[in-house]
Amino acid sequence: MKLLESLFPSNDFSLIAVILGMPLLGAFVNGIWGRRLGKPAVKMMTLTAVGVSFIASLIAFLLLDHAGHGGEHAHTRLYFTAWEWMHTNGGRAGSTVNIDLRFSIDALNGVMMLIVTGVGFLIHLYATSYMENDPGYHRFFAYLNLFIFSMLILILGDNLPVLFVGWEGVGLCSYLLIGFWYEQMPNAAAGKKAFIANRIGDFGLICAMFLLVHYTGALDWTGIQNNASVLADNPADAYQIHLWPLGGGQYQGFFKFLQPTTPITISAATAVGLALLLGCAGKSAQIPLYVWLPDAMAGPTPVSALIHAATMVTAGIYLVCRLSFVFVLSPFVMTTVLCVGAATALLAATIALVQNDIKKVLAYSTVSQLGFMFMGVGAGAFTAGFFHVLTHAFFKACLFLGAGSVIHAMHARIHDDVKSQDMRHMGGLKKYMPYTYWTFLVSTLAIAGCPLLSGFFSKDEILFRAYVNHSISPVAAKMTARHIAIWQQPEWIGKAVYAVGIITAAMTAFYMFRCLFLTFHGSFRGWAIGRGSGLTPAHGVKVAAKEDVAHAHDDHGHDDEHHDDDHGHHHEEDLTVPGPAPHESPLPMTAPLVILAAFAAFAGALNPAPLTKMLPLEHWLEPVFEEAQKAGVHVAETAEHLELPLMVPGVLAFIIGLGLAYAVYIKAEGKPAKRWAEAAPRLHRAAYNKWYVDEFYEATILSAVDALAETAAAFDQWFVDGIIAKLSSLVVAALGTVLRTFQTGVVHVYAAAMVIGIAVISWFFVAPHAQVSTAPSPNGDYVVTAAPGMGYSYRWDADGNGEPDKPDFTDQTSVKVHLDPGKELKVKLEVTNAFGRHATVEVPLNRPAAQNPMELGSN
Amino acid sequence: MPVTHYLVLSSLLFTIGGVGFLVRRNVLVTLMSIELMLNAVNLTLIAFNAAHPESHTGQMFAFFLIAAEAAEVAVGLAIVLALFRIRRTVRSDEADLLKN
Repeated sequence: MKLLESLFPSNDFSLIAVILGMPLLGAFVNGIWGRRLGKPAVKMMTLTAVGVSFIASLIAFLLLDHAGHGGEHAHTRLYFTAWEWMHTNGGRAGSTVNIDLRFSIDALNGVMMLIVTGVGFLIHLYATSYMENDPGYHRFFAYLNLFIFSMLILILGDNLPVLFVGWEGVGLCSYLLIGFWYEQMPNAAAGKKAFIANRIGDFGLICAMFLLVHYTGALDWTGIQNNASVLADNPADAYQIHLWPLGGGQYQGFFKFLQPTTPITISAATAVGLALLLGCAGKSAQIPLYVWLPDAMAGPTPVSALIHAATMVTAGIYLVCRLSFVFVLSPFVMTTVLCVGAATALLAATIALVQNDIKKVLAYSTVSQLGFMFMGVGAGAFTAGFFHVLTHAFFKACLFLGAGSVIHAMHARIHDDVKSQDMRHMGGLKKYMPYTYWTFLVSTLAIAGCPLLSGFFSKDEILFRAYVNHSISPVAAKMTARHIAIWQQPEWIGKAVYAVGIITAAMTAFYMFRCLFLTFHGSFRGWAIGRGSGLTPAHGVKVAAKEDVAHAHDDHGHDDEHHDDDHGHHHEEDLTVPGPAPHESPLPMTAPLVILAAFAAFAGALNPAPLTKMLPLEHWLEPVFEEAQKAGVHVAETAEHLELPLMVPGVLAFIIGLGLAYAVYIKAEGKPAKRWAEAAPRLHRAAYNKWYVDEFYEATILSAVDALAETAAAFDQWFVDGIIAKLSSLVVAALGTVLRTFQTGVVHVYAAAMVIGIAVISWFFVAPHAQVSTAPSPNGDYVVTAAPGMGYSYRWDADGNGEPDKPDFTDQTSVKVHLDPGKELKVKLEVTNAFGRHATVEVPLNRPAAQNPMELGSN
Repeated sequence: MPVTHYLVLSSLLFTIGGVGFLVRRNVLVTLMSIELMLNAVNLTLIAFNAAHPESHTGQMFAFFLIAAEAAEVAVGLAIVLALFRIRRTVRSDEADLLKN
């Protein structure tokens, strides 16, 4: 430990470079040379990259812990400055703003770093097997490594611009990975959707950055924290933002009753908080920007696991936690976060209830769980929210990888992506895939809130905190003293959110167990199981598939849709023909499942709030959130006693959800669900179609943007192309046609033209040119100079009497004349050249009358 | 003899050369017309030099011109040969490959 500490001093902690550099190296090598390296080398590279990064993260974490215990535990940070990026003067604080490529590890992102590299490594390991037969193997792992790299930049960055680099990086990688199978249109569209929805959020983050640098004069965490108080505390007009009237104008038309009569004034803290929230909502898929996340499952399943569980979507929660001291300055923002979280959790849960696609259920469950995390941080319980990030990373990664394992098994026979993910084709897989089943079961219990598993503790803590916490403005007292009205959080919001949370928790239990029962219990509905046993799965599938195809051909005579295919894939198969039983996935896929399931089960021990007083995670994160919580969160005094009573509805929600799912899908084999759907077909269809939110966006925002784009395109087509480009090309073409008639290609015509040209030029030189220039001076002297020429001689008439001054032509090139004020004179010049030809020019000179001398004197 | 006589002869020669250059279509005749014009110029230069024997400018220019003529004829004849090979003609108005 001593050696390591001397090797990596806390202000130059170059181990961060290793943590960051390895995934980048992996991405680089696999991206450039992956095709030639071959699959084993690509596998080696990618696993080594993330594995070394994980080991380095572990060492860094231990060093952080060690450094913290030695001295002041509260604000231990390990810094590493890669290089100076930029610095600028300014900001309202008037300081120099340093923006360096600087990274730091503290208690909060230390944990994040372990999640990203640890869970990331397991997902990589899983993917090496899952993607085995994909032609884009090396490309996939290059993207995956790049994703880990971007995420590490995001969490380890010590200031907002560096975070933003990673923020954009994960956006790009999600686009690349969601649209990984870009030959299929829906996948490419899903990638695009994720990218664009995230851009909207990024706009919020950029605005927040500008506001922060303007008001606090800093962009690094310490700097913002030190100056954050001015955002809310300063009563000066410059620290308040007036939202209306826009541009100082008042609209007088028909709709003027819609317009507020007085400006809405918000504090800088509220503006910054809302802008940040928009950014976080984009990344963490909250209302109104959640629509991209369910579509993001179009990518390969390991990608879904990576995006949904460990990395990208947690970035928003991370940012709220990281800038908790800014958020708590405005109770309005905190309430918004709380409500957005609750609404998202509930809405996504209702959609998840009726989905048939196994990945869609999990995707909406992710959105819902992210809503829970936002509820936690919105209630000011940052530790609870972050704890849920941690536990969710384990059980959701396990669930997605489990789903991937199921799809992998289904794919052996059903080669259609949509059908192989449809739970109506599954059932009874428990028997064939024991590892997948048991790990899936553990994770389902965890996410549903089964007591003593990880999800129970984190969810319970969030709900408890939502009930007892109350956001208060840290400057309320000061503002009241100054008679400034300030928005306060109503008392009932916390209770309402708690109720919504309990309902959502019950729904979570129901839809997760519905998913589990439909997939693993009952009897298998995918295809008739008969032959193919005794063969190893991978080969058996191929052989069986080929034989079956042959049978299918016999049965149906012919099938036009079949293409020539070596692998026996992509065939529309007759699933009534018996095939081999679904098979368990290979070891590299099951091992991560087991590890993740173990974590999903036992991670609750990190913060078992309701049961014991031992709270390792809370203790660990306390210094990060201490000040924010003290400043902006009021905890009810009865909280301690409420903890156990408030736990009861949570447990009840789990039991009700589980019981209902059991009754419906095991006892009654799903018949009640069908009856309900038929009883309320419109409600069911609306929920199944995600409450038509996408359609609503399509009709409002997207159509408006489309109309604008069409207008711009029409303008481009008609005005820019039609008039500017076409017209100018027409002029040039016409000119060319005229000139082309002269280009006969006949030598004599050219020669004649040359002769004519020479004649004209000769004439110009033969004829003399009389030109003069005049130089006046203030005392009335004018110098008139003749332009020179070959063989020229000059005759002047300088006195204006009409007769030449001298009878003969001379070499005199200039004359000087004097004029009195108010007089005028005509100077005449005659020029003759060597051929004796003449030319004449007359220059009128005219001196204005003098100013009044008295006036001049008075100045 | 005064310079004027030479100059009149020279201008006659130049005019004949120029008209020949403009009106004749045979490339060989065209080349000869050019030679005629150049020699008219040479004659002028020599005549001026004879009128002012103290400077040798005219003679020098005449030598340069002769050298340039020799080179020009060498190139010109080569072009004519090439033209004949391609088009089987030495008429300049038929050598309009570059047109259009």
